[in-house]
Formats: sequence, structure tokens, C-alpha cells
Amino acid sequence: MPPSLQRPRPHIQFTDLFLIQLSNFRWSWRGQVVTGMLAPVLATAALGAFAGRDQQSLTYVLCGSIVLSLMFQNQNNVAANFAYMKAMGTLDFFATLPVYRSLVILATVLAFFVLSIPSLVATALLGTVILGVPLSISPLVLLVVPLCVLPMAGIGALIGITVRSPAEAGSISMLITLLLLFMGPVVLPPDRLPDWMIGVSHFSPTSYAASAIRQVVIGPVTGQVWLDMAVLALVSAVTLWGVGHKLPWHQK
Amino acid sequence: MTVAYRVENLVKRYPRQDVLAVDGMSFEIAEGEIFGLLGDNGAGKTTLVRQLVGLLRPTSGRIELFGRDVVENTSFVSTMIGYMPQSTSALNRLTVGEAVYFSAHLRGMSRADARRERDELLELWRIAEIRDKVSTNLSGGQRRLLQLAVATAGRAPVLILDEPTNDLDPINKKHVWEVLRGFNQRRGTTIVLVTHDAVEAEKAIQRVGIVQRGRFTALGTPAQLKAEIAQKLKVRLVFPPDEPPALPFGVVPQEESDGSWLLMLDGDEAAELLGKLDLRKITDIRMTSTTLEDLYLHYAS
Repeated sequence: MPPSLQRPRPHIQFTDLFLIQLSNFRWSWRGQVVTGMLAPVLATAALGAFAGRDQQSLTYVLCGSIVLSLMFQNQNNVAANFAYMKAMGTLDFFATLPVYRSLVILATVLAFFVLSIPSLVATALLGTVILGVPLSISPLVLLVVPLCVLPMAGIGALIGITVRSPAEAGSISMLITLLLLFMGPVVLPPDRLPDWMIGVSHFSPTSYAASAIRQVVIGPVTGQVWLDMAVLALVSAVTLWGVGHKLPWHQK
Repeated sequence: MTVAYRVENLVKRYPRQDVLAVDGMSFEIAEGEIFGLLGDNGAGKTTLVRQLVGLLRPTSGRIELFGRDVVENTSFVSTMIGYMPQSTSALNRLTVGEAVYFSAHLRGMSRADARRERDELLELWRIAEIRDKVSTNLSGGQRRLLQLAVATAGRAPVLILDEPTNDLDPINKKHVWEVLRGFNQRRGTTIVLVTHDAVEAEKAIQRVGIVQRGRFTALGTPAQLKAEIAQKLKVRLVFPPDEPPALPFGVVPQEESDGSWLLMLDGDEAAELLGKLDLRKITDIRMTSTTLEDLYLHYAS
């Protein structure tokens, strides 16, 4: 038998796959500007105008816009990317390389997270300027933001690998973005929402994401943040396990 | 002889399909062999190669790569093969140079070796001039050459190539067969390829399987298969435009789509015909023995 190839060590696999996925900035930068920055900032301005001087409402608008930016940049772009990789044969190609499928998923999710950071920062800063809401950043933000991103990216990846085409991924992901955004106290404070919607929001990861973001960006940080992070970690684990399970790798 | 691939009673049925995509195939491919798969569109060739690389699980039957079950040992398979899918878009967010480098590096080469491999392959596959171009901006032929560079990066001992010469011009097609033959001769690379390019492939392929409706209708070396059909010579004649073919009495040619006239003759008949032809009334004469393309057409029909 001829000598086989050497399987690269996991950190080498991850680095290469991460860099390959970072190359997606070549197509996604326009989207980052439009949907990751302009749309949330415009939404901030419009909803801020309706909120008037009510500080609680303004806080929800700002943090909801940050969540919106994260969703556009992570859930939607990851959905589009997985659907595209599936359609173009990229996943098949990776499956024939000596690499772990879990690292393909992790590298994709983290690359899109990194690509989303400029939009996230710009949305937060411009939103603060527009709304005049003072920021009080907690160090926990370094934990909370990735934990907010993971479930969204996981949902996006699940959408991307289960739909039939990239076009279908875009429309379904957008629908889910809107549902998750408005079916709970994400952009609007809970006293503006009907009771049934508050009930439904307990099942939406964006409610927990928005709650955690509000605490670590505006303050105060309460015990609720740990519950939010636990739920986000659980949803991340479930969705990413689902992605690993459903990813077309060696098909039946 | 070491067996690279051993395939036994392989069957693939897709969900909600009545017809089997692969219908009980059994064959072996020796280490260091160039094995070609010819067949119509939809004959089952791509399904077969996707099973050989472990991308698709068989409905039943078994595939072994160097004695190890492909389904049970997908990690092992990935350390043995370089796969080129039919689609040319797998890494099309990357530049040409990046795609080849990452493929070599992810197949276990060190960074320095992967860089060297990239530079060599870009030259070898004649795509060095476009190394900084993003794949989406390439022509179909350039993308095909890039896919070949990506599949061959890292020097896998087995190459599985699905239609490697599609989209290529005749010069590049010829070059591809020469390079593949070179890999086979210098490194002992086992090559399994799907192609429609029977005429050019004949120069490289050592054994061929002709696939129809998920089965082999013929399997053997081109010489063995040629021996099984009549030893006819193909005589192709071209006459001046607007003039009927001037042929001896009793010779009935078949008109081809390019305006030439084709005769299938035994050797002595061909010699006799050439003696009787009025060469002043003929623009072009070509006489060939049976080609791989003829075999394909014969067995496919």
C-alpha cells in the first residue's frame, strides 16, 4: 500500500478552514455595510423617534438593534454560506479532505463572527450617538456577545444545510430573523407587548440574547445574565450538535 | 498486483427512484492503474465515483480501498485520495494560489512544502498567470485546470477525477492527459476518471469500464475490448463541395454530420478501395483503426 497523507493537527485544520471562511468577506462586505450596519442604524433612528424620551424604550431600541445586527451578520450570512457551500460542492470537497467536520462548522461560525464585529461596533456606537443612551460596558460582554452569536449562527447553519437552494436559505432565514426579533421583548419593552407574546418569547433565544446584551452594555448586570447565558449556551449546543448531525458529509 | 479498489455487488438506489443508479457492479482497480469510466449522461458514473470517495453510502454491496471498507473508514479514505468533483465551484471564494495552497496544506504538507507544491502545480497546470485571481472570475477552462491543481495538491496516492477535461480546449485537453500519465508513471498514482473524451483518454487509460444504466456493459483494456468487436477499419473520405461522392460501384458510404463520408471496412477491402479511388476527386482521406470512442459507441448502443 502506498504511504497515506498525514492528517494535519486539529489547530492547523482549524486555522486553514478559518482563513478559507474569512475569504467570504469578498462577497459579504457589501451585506455587512447594508444589513449589518445601515439597516440596524436606520431601525434605531426610526424606532428611537417613536420611543421619544422614554429611557427604557430607548435602551430596548439600542440593544434590539445590536441583536438585529448580530442576526443579520451571523444567522443570515451563515445560512447563506452553508447553503452556498452545499450547492457548490464545497462541503463535498471538505468531506474528502482529512479534516474534521466539527472544525468546518466551528471555523465557519467563528469566521462569520469575526466578520460581524465591525458592524456590531458601528451599530452600538452610532446607536448610542443617535439615541443618547449612555453605555456602561461590563467585562462580561466578552462572554455574552459570542454566546449570543453561537445560537444564531447555529440556526443559520441548520437553515443553510437543510434547504434546497441558497435563495431558499435567504428567504427562510429572513423570515426567522423577523419572527425572532419581534416575537418578544427584543426591540420593544415588554410593557408594549401582549401577554401571549411575552409567553412565546420565553422560547426565543433572541429574548435571552437581548436581555444579556442590555445588562452588559447598558447595565445593571443582575443574576438574570447567568440564566440568559445558560439558555444561550444550551441553544448553541443543541443547534450546533444538530448542524454536525445534519451536515451532508458522508451521505446515506 | 496490489488491489487499490475492490468493489463487490455495489448497489445504489436513491430515495423515491425505481431505477437503480448503480446496479450490482463488481470490479477491481489495481494500484498504479489508470482506470476510465465511459458512459452516457445519467448512466451512474458520478454516483459510482461518489461512492468510491465515500461521499455516498451504498444501498448494498461493499467497496474496499487498499483492503479497508470505505464506509467504515472514511478518515482513512480522506488520507488516500485527491478528488475532483464535476462541479468547478468548490473553492470559488479563494484566489487560485490560495485554493491550491490550502488544499496541499490540509492534505498534510508543511507550510513550506505546501507553498512549493502550489508554485509547482500552478506552473504544471498552466495557471500561474492567474494565481491572484478569485476563482469566480475565471473562465470555465481555467476553473477546470484549477480544480485539477486542487485535486492533485498534496500528492495523494489515488486520484478520482470526474470529467477532468470538460470545458477545456484541445491543447489543454492533451496537456491534461500528459500530466496525468506523468503522475502515473513517475509517482505510481492510481487514477480513476470519468470522461466523455474517449479519443484523447485512450492515450492515458489502461483499463476502461463502459457504464450503462448502472452496470458495466464492457470492462477491460482497450485492446481486449477492441478484440471483442469486429476488426474494422474506419475510412473517412471528404469530397469537393457540391459533388457527389465518386466511389467504385457497390461501395455505399454513410454520410456524417460534418459532410464527410464514412466506410467501415475489413483490411483487405480497405486496401482494394484505396487502389480504385480517383484521388483527384477526393479532398481528404483518413483511415483509422477502432478507437476507444468506437468501442464506447459500440457498447453503448
